[in-house]
This record gives sequence, C-alpha cells and structure tokens, in this order.
Amino acid sequence: MGVQQDIREKGLIGAVATQADSVFTRITAGIDAGEFRRMLQGDPPGRPNPRLKPHAESFLLHIKPTYYHESVTRFTHTFRLGLLSTYLFIVETITGILLMIWYAPTPERAYPDMILLLTNIPFGQFLRDMHRLGAEAMVAIVTLHMVRCYLTGSYKPPRQFTWFTGVLLLVFTLFLSFSGYLLPWDQLAFWAVTIGTSMAEAVPPAVVGEVVNLLARGAPDIGANGLMRFYLLHVLFLPLLLVLFFFVHYYKVVHFGISLPADEEEVGEDTANRVPADKRVYYLPDVFVDEMSFMTVITTLLILLTVFFFQAPLEHIANPQSTPLHTVAPWYFYWLQGLLKIADKFIAGVLLPGVLLVLLMAIPYLDYNPSRRGKDRKVAIVAGIVAGTVMIILSWMGTPEYAVQGAPSVEIVQDVMPEEGSGISREIGYKHLPLGVWRTDEEYDVHDHEFNELLHEFYEAVDFYRRTDPDFNAPVGQVTITQDQPGLKKLKWEIFWFDAQGTEGTYEKSFWLHEESIYWEQYGWKHLFFGYVADGWSSMSGALAGE
Amino acid sequence: MTVQQDLRQQVLGREVDISAAAERVAPLDREKILETLNVGREGINRREFLTYAWACALGLLTLESGLATYRFMSPRFEAGTFGGEFHLGSAANLPATDLDPQPNTAGKFWLVNTESGPHALYMVCPHLGCLYKWDPINNQFLCPCHFSQFSREGHYIWGPAPRSLDQFRVRTVDGDSELSKTKEAGDQILAPAIGQPGSDIVVDTGDRIRGLPAALSPVRAMNRAD
Repeated sequence: MGVQQDIREKGLIGAVATQADSVFTRITAGIDAGEFRRMLQGDPPGRPNPRLKPHAESFLLHIKPTYYHESVTRFTHTFRLGLLSTYLFIVETITGILLMIWYAPTPERAYPDMILLLTNIPFGQFLRDMHRLGAEAMVAIVTLHMVRCYLTGSYKPPRQFTWFTGVLLLVFTLFLSFSGYLLPWDQLAFWAVTIGTSMAEAVPPAVVGEVVNLLARGAPDIGANGLMRFYLLHVLFLPLLLVLFFFVHYYKVVHFGISLPADEEEVGEDTANRVPADKRVYYLPDVFVDEMSFMTVITTLLILLTVFFFQAPLEHIANPQSTPLHTVAPWYFYWLQGLLKIADKFIAGVLLPGVLLVLLMAIPYLDYNPSRRGKDRKVAIVAGIVAGTVMIILSWMGTPEYAVQGAPSVEIVQDVMPEEGSGISREIGYKHLPLGVWRTDEEYDVHDHEFNELLHEFYEAVDFYRRTDPDFNAPVGQVTITQDQPGLKKLKWEIFWFDAQGTEGTYEKSFWLHEESIYWEQYGWKHLFFGYVADGWSSMSGALAGE
Repeated sequence: MTVQQDLRQQVLGREVDISAAAERVAPLDREKILETLNVGREGINRREFLTYAWACALGLLTLESGLATYRFMSPRFEAGTFGGEFHLGSAANLPATDLDPQPNTAGKFWLVNTESGPHALYMVCPHLGCLYKWDPINNQFLCPCHFSQFSREGHYIWGPAPRSLDQFRVRTVDGDSELSKTKEAGDQILAPAIGQPGSDIVVDTGDRIRGLPAALSPVRAMNRAD
C-alpha cells in the first residue's frame, strides 16, 4: 500500500529511490543516504545528532562509545595499542581457524600436516607464517599496551580493575602463544614445551607439582595426550577465556572512558567522561574511518612482513629420544630461563614469577600517589624503567649467549650448520656447495657469491674462538663436501686445534643435504632478501648482475 | 454501497480513466528525485573521495583474502585416491571389449572397454545416489533402489533416472604428452581412441562428465512407461 502511495506521489523512479534509501537506512542501522554523504563530506551533525542512532540500534556499535575526547584520539596518546591487540586477536582467530582445516592434533599427523601445508597448499606457508608472526606481535603489542598504561598512570582510580583484567589478558596471551608452540610437533615445539611444563613440576609440595604436570601433559612425558590437551587449550579454552575477559576489560574502558593526558585535568580528578561539546570527536564518522584506515594499513604491513621478512620456523620431527643443542623457550620467556640459570627451580620458576604477577596486578591498589603527571611520579617511573631493564638483562641471560657455551669446536659447527634450523649452509642450498675440501687457512678463488659467504662465516667463527679461548690455539676448520648419492651431498665438518698444553684436539660432525630439500625454498629467499637489504644496494645489484 | 461494489467502482473507474491516472504519476523530474532521495550535496569533496578510496582498498583486500582463502581451502587429491588420477597402466592391459565391466572401488568407477575406446562410468546412479550393479544376464546396469537401467556403455534405458550415467574423463598418455581423451561432442560422449597399444590409460576422477539427458539416449526404451 505504501509503495502505491509513493508511486503516485513521487513517480516510479522516486518511489524506487525511496525504497532503496530505506533499505540503506536499515543496513546502516539508522543513517540514510543523505546523512551518510553529509557525514563523509565533513558536515557537522544536526541537532539532535542523527548519527547516534546506530549506537543505539546495532549490536556491534552499541559497545563503542558515541564520542571521544579530542585529546585521546591523538595517535601519540594511546598509539592505538589496545585496538591493535584486539585486531591481532582477530587475525589470529581467522588464520587459526583456516589452519585447522589442514591440521590434526595427533603425533602421527601433526608434522606431516605441517609439511603438507608448506609444500602442497596454496597460501599454506603464508597463513602459517602470518599466524606465527601475529602471535609474536600480539605478545609484544599487549606488553607495550601495558607499558603505555603504566607510564601514563592510567591504572589509577577509577581504572584499577581495568588494569587488573588487562594483566589477566596479558597472561592469557602468553599462555595462548605458548600453547600453540607444541602443535607443529617438531623438535623446537617438543623441547620448548617439555622445558615449560617441567617448570610447573617445581610447584611445592612435590605431589602437587607432579599432579599439575601430569594434568598438563596427560602422561608422565609429552605424547599424544599432551598434544591433544595443548591443542584444546590453544583453540578453545584459552581463546574463550580471553574473549570473556576482553569484554570485561573493554566494558570498563568504555564505562570510565580513556584517561586524558594527565596535564589536561587537575590532580586526583577524572574528567574523561565529562567532555565539553567543542572537544567531542564523534565515533561516526571520524573515529570509525580513522580506525578502519589504520587497520587497513596494519593489515597491509602484516602481509608485507609475512611475505618478505618472516618465516615460522619448522625443525625436524619431534624426537623424544634426542634433545637438540641450544634448546630455548620462546623469546617472551627468556627472562624466566635467565632466572632459572641463576636460581633454584622452585624460586625462579614458581615463586618469583608468581610474586611478580601478583605485584603487577596489585599495582593500582598499592600506588597511593593520586597524580598521573610524570613529574609527580618519579619513583614509579624510575621503578618501571628499572624493572624493564632487569627484564631485558634477564632475557639476555636466557639466551644461549649466556652461560651455556659448549666447546668452541661444537659451537663453530653449530654456527655454520646447526643441528636444528637452517644455518647459512642450508640456506645457500645444495647447488651452492661445490664438491671438494675447503679449509679456513687457505684462500680460494671460487666464483660463487653464496659459497664465499659461507667460507667467510666459517673462517670468522674459527677466528672468534681462537681469539677468545686460550684452550683453542692454531685452529683450522675444514669442510669436505662429497657426493654421497645422486642428489645427496655430504658435508663433513672437521676442526683441528691445540689446547694450552699443546695437545692436539679434533672434532668431526657430518650432515647430509638433499637436492630437493625445502630449506632453500622455505628459508632461502626471505633470508636472501633480508640479507640484501642489510648489505645495502651494492650486493643486491651484484646479485642482479649474476655475481 | 458494499465494499466490493466500491472496489469494483474504483477498478472500473481506473480502466476508463487511464490517461488521468498517468497524469497523476509525477513526471521524471531530476530536481524532484534528488529531493526525494535527499542524497546531500552534488559533487564530491576531497574528504568523501578519500573515504571511498579507503573503503575500496578495504573491499579489494577482503576480495583478495577471500580468493586466497578459497584456494587454501580447496581440497587436494593424490593419485590413487578418489578425486585424483588413477593410472591403469598400458592400454594393452585393458579388458576385452566383450567382457563384463570391471569395478574399481577405490576410484568409484566401472571400467568398460568398447570398440571405440574405454569408458570409466561413475558408480553412482544419477537418480538418487544409489550404487547400481552389473546385471550380466540382461547385459545392462541395474539400480537396486528404483530399477533404473543403463546399457553397458552407460546409456539410459529405462527408469526414473533423469540422464545417462556420469563418467570420468579417460586420457591416453605417452609419458607426459596426451594422445587422446574422452570428449563431449554435442549429443554424445566419445571415448578416447586407442592409437598405440603401448600408451598409458589415466582416469581422472576429479573430472566428471555429466551423462546426457535421458531423451538423448540412443537405447531409450520407448515402449515402456516412465
């Protein structure tokens, strides 16, 4: 009936246009085409503001505030770190669900599925790399978000509980990232998680520790049960927990408003929710367009980083019988590993992290200083910087650089051809490894840029230990490359040296490299590209000229 | 006056007075349409253009991710599993043209050799998905569910099935080069010619050719009721 009336009044085209407009208004939950264009053209809203309607009508917008204070929309106030964390969680969810299509959490299938993903699925490696990069970035961004809130004193009343849930979210993020570690079922996964769960064993009394460990692993050691448990933690339990606390956290953020820059309000006051009319920046359209374009740029950046600069590592298939040299935890647990090197397993692995966590959560309840201004918070800011520095030093101590140096000969071979990962020998690949005997005390005239780089790195590694280790004198490194089978080269690494007493020592280790090994494809190009960026334009142009 | 009479009056009135009704419909007036639509200012300013540019970039990104996701999700088939290729060996090993069809359970096809070449008939009845059987007495395929019948070459004979049997493309290859393959030629499906007895036979179970409609079947039983 309405349509007939419309046609009579406005003509056929006019009636169709009216209908189209009403559909448009329904899709945008309350904004008609005219208002939409006025919005994009930068016209001020009418009174009452018709652009608030979607906030009232649509589910997705009802959780966003209708306007922000001008000062908090400045990029340098928040660096958009909270939005970025949420965005990365969404990226992880999408890429994670896609990866689940080709993955089954059993020891028989997990690793072959990884190989399948890398070799036979379009965009398989891309999605895996992106999922891994996103996970690492999420840990970093969530941590930076916390640092920002600490430095601007945003945890102070009334936002204490917001901070508390934020710390919980950080913990969930760490566990989420760590639980994903086991899933590829390679040596890196298996041993990093073995180390991680054996820390839980230190929970006193011994019975409790054992029970915790048994529940996490589903067996005395990690096997099919452990993989299934970590998988469920990773894809279901922890994400649900994180989503729940995200909404608690975000509700508080919207409820109290984002804290203003400290200089803009009196000490002890909180005026975030009393925004003068001339300071309001409405979510529609300004903040919305800003956030969308920000996320488009970030997505592009993430794709470029994934394609050109990052590869998710994949080591050999998990072998419970053999721990590779230099097994480490993920980088965000280096600090814990550092602590474990200098203190007892219970103190460093359970007590200190527990106390740290409780302290972190309790900061807003312990800090009685009402001022959020930097100049009034010298103690807090210095304490924060000291804590950060200690974390960085502990993290450095957690790397193999500190206190786990093996014998020089072992380290040299590990440097040029590690037991796990690629190393320069595998990166340059089969075709850049000419047959013959190559020694570090001789000069060769080889017309192969890549192989020369390998010889150079070999020489540098031997020379480094000659200079730093008194028990490693007149060392010579030698690599013998032979054709072991068609399409299979054998690299026999030998190191000869004299110790301080003048006794000769030798060390020997052999590796094989197949012509069709995927190291080159998986690691080569990205590393090569990265190397060229690092070396500058000259070597890039050299490579183009075929040198 | 009853309601019906009133309606009748209106309808009749409109019939008589069509030109007056046409006049009541407003003429196409640009001004008026714009007013009705209320789409804001004419022209486009920098701010609006940039927003559209962002939206387009975002749309493109979404489209590309969609395509990548489609490629990522598409299943892949190995040779020897259903959906992939089946290598049946040399053409010389094909069964004689007068022998019964041979079932290949892994590939879900019946291999039928004919004078013009081999067919790989998809084991599933095109009616409702039952597995039909070979009936050696009547020299035809018979579906146990609704008794659809098909000839040895897969042509529809009788029954509720809408078309002849589907078949997989058969190729004869010599090394990497393809010699011949099953072809669709208008109202018939031609088996690949066996030129050299040494060439290899490959059945691609990922490439299914739909059977021709029952009406086109050369052996359709006209005397029996459908």
